[in-house]
Amino acid sequence: MKKIILLTSLLTSMAFAQVSKPIEMPYVDYPVETGDHDEVVQQYCLICHSFGYILNQGKKSRPYWTGTVQKMVNEFKAPIPKEDQQTIINYLVKHYGYEVASGH
Amino acid sequence: MSTFNRRHFLGSSLILGASSLLGKEADQKIITETKNFVPPVIAFPEKKPLKVISDRPPLLESPRDIFTQPITPNDQFFVRWHMPDIPTYIDLNEFRLQVQGAVETPLSLSVDDLKSKFEPVEITSVLQCGGNSRKYYATSGQATHGVQWGHGAMGCAVWKGVRLKDILNKAGLKSDARFVGVNGLEKPALDETPHFFREMELDEALSGELIVAYEMNGEDLPYLNGFPLRLVIPGHFSDSWVKMLSEITVLDQYRKTFFMDVAYTVPDNDCECVVSGGDFEYKRKPIAAMKVKSVIGYPTPNTIIKKGSRIKVTGMAFDQGKGVKEVMISVDGGKSWSATALQKDYGKYAYRQWIYQWEPKTKGEYTIMVRAINRVGNIQPLPDEIGWNAGGYQYNAVDSVNVKIV
Ligand code: HEC
Repeated sequence: MKKIILLTSLLTSMAFAQVSKPIEMPYVDYPVETGDHDEVVQQYCLICHSFGYILNQGKKSRPYWTGTVQKMVNEFKAPIPKEDQQTIINYLVKHYGYEVASGH
Repeated sequence: MSTFNRRHFLGSSLILGASSLLGKEADQKIITETKNFVPPVIAFPEKKPLKVISDRPPLLESPRDIFTQPITPNDQFFVRWHMPDIPTYIDLNEFRLQVQGAVETPLSLSVDDLKSKFEPVEITSVLQCGGNSRKYYATSGQATHGVQWGHGAMGCAVWKGVRLKDILNKAGLKSDARFVGVNGLEKPALDETPHFFREMELDEALSGELIVAYEMNGEDLPYLNGFPLRLVIPGHFSDSWVKMLSEITVLDQYRKTFFMDVAYTVPDNDCECVVSGGDFEYKRKPIAAMKVKSVIGYPTPNTIIKKGSRIKVTGMAFDQGKGVKEVMISVDGGKSWSATALQKDYGKYAYRQWIYQWEPKTKGEYTIMVRAINRVGNIQPLPDEIGWNAGGYQYNAVDSVNVKIV
């Protein structure tokens, strides 16, 4: 028995378990605000997951975004140089957040 | 991995940007709005349209109205992966579950082996993400880190499979066996990123309630819910319900890993919450048993209903397996409470549906709230009473829905 999720033309002749016709994994073009070096954000923040992860957070404070970027670097080993981390944090705060002195 | 004669990946491991992930095959391109971002609602393979928090890895949230059915249909069951590199094609002739480590006889089991050589068992159980309902923490207090789920990262299904205990006994445990590690086929984009590896104490693994499931609601597991095998741990949050389960490793000592010891942990105190200071100043413990919870399936928020209608207010309640004792309802924002009628009992780990017949006599705005209590006296906290943790885990405060009677 074979189970197919992403069907390319090569696979159309195979048997299906529950899938009766060709299917494809949808691709979502999550919108990314441009400017303030969004290219740096796109270069690093899409390696391991979609931009949906970022949009889903809603507007968040600078400490929150700083914490998130640090988590990506320290825990998940995102290969982002220090100065680019700062660029990304500034971008996120400007487009998907707000400034506060402390707290979340 | 050599167990596949052909693999496709949901994602690429390179820095290519999202547009190249699926190459030419993906002609279905969905553009979404930026302002006040609302995730698109799209049908993924074997699924009805669900809220797509992320397409890579897939994070699909179920709508609130699934809480009108005690068994969640497979095609509306939420989807939650952690890593972008997921095989999208599995050949059951080649797929094997490896049982290894501190065992007398390592096993390499096909799905057919599991179906033919072991006693099949069935259990109805809620599957809930540890971060389910996380976004509600921010409505009554400080925001929490993690995917901002509504209530739709849970469902209840009938799981059929083989007892983990039976598999371990067939392999034969060595005398130094202490822990059981489980992992599946999802892999990170970068090798350095921690793999999704989970562990449990041997006693838990041998409890007889944990099953390696190959069926969900009478069908093969949907691909996105972990085809062909998934670990089921009734009563527990789903962190260790590993999908596309491919390895069971018996260990003589605990392995420290990010996804066990850092992520999915809460302060190791009675309230499992932050009393003062920072969350990570506390000794940690992994989240495990679920907390008593109830949610409203109908009406959904902002429903407009004609005065004089007879409304069947309904939803689901569950806990860690002690059993729901009572679900109370308020239609006046928590001033007064009435009993609801509990429906059919599908087992102690299943959803328990509750129903309340309501005939609003006057026009206006109403806040419906529900609150469950279980047989050992655990009761849902009110939103402003719930203990806070930085990871936003285990949210179980009283649910509320606003409706308008016209
Ligand atoms: C090396 C891989 C990697 C890179 C690069 C990466 N992330 Fe992540 N990110 C992860 C993983 C792993 C998770 C947790 C995934 C899960 O459990 O679904 C995550 C989760 C998140 C979340 C969800 C909320 C949370 O706190 O867990 C956000 C937001 C996020 N990442 C933002 C970013 C941003 C912004 C960047 C760019 C600076 C980035 N990520 C780069 C691996 C990465």
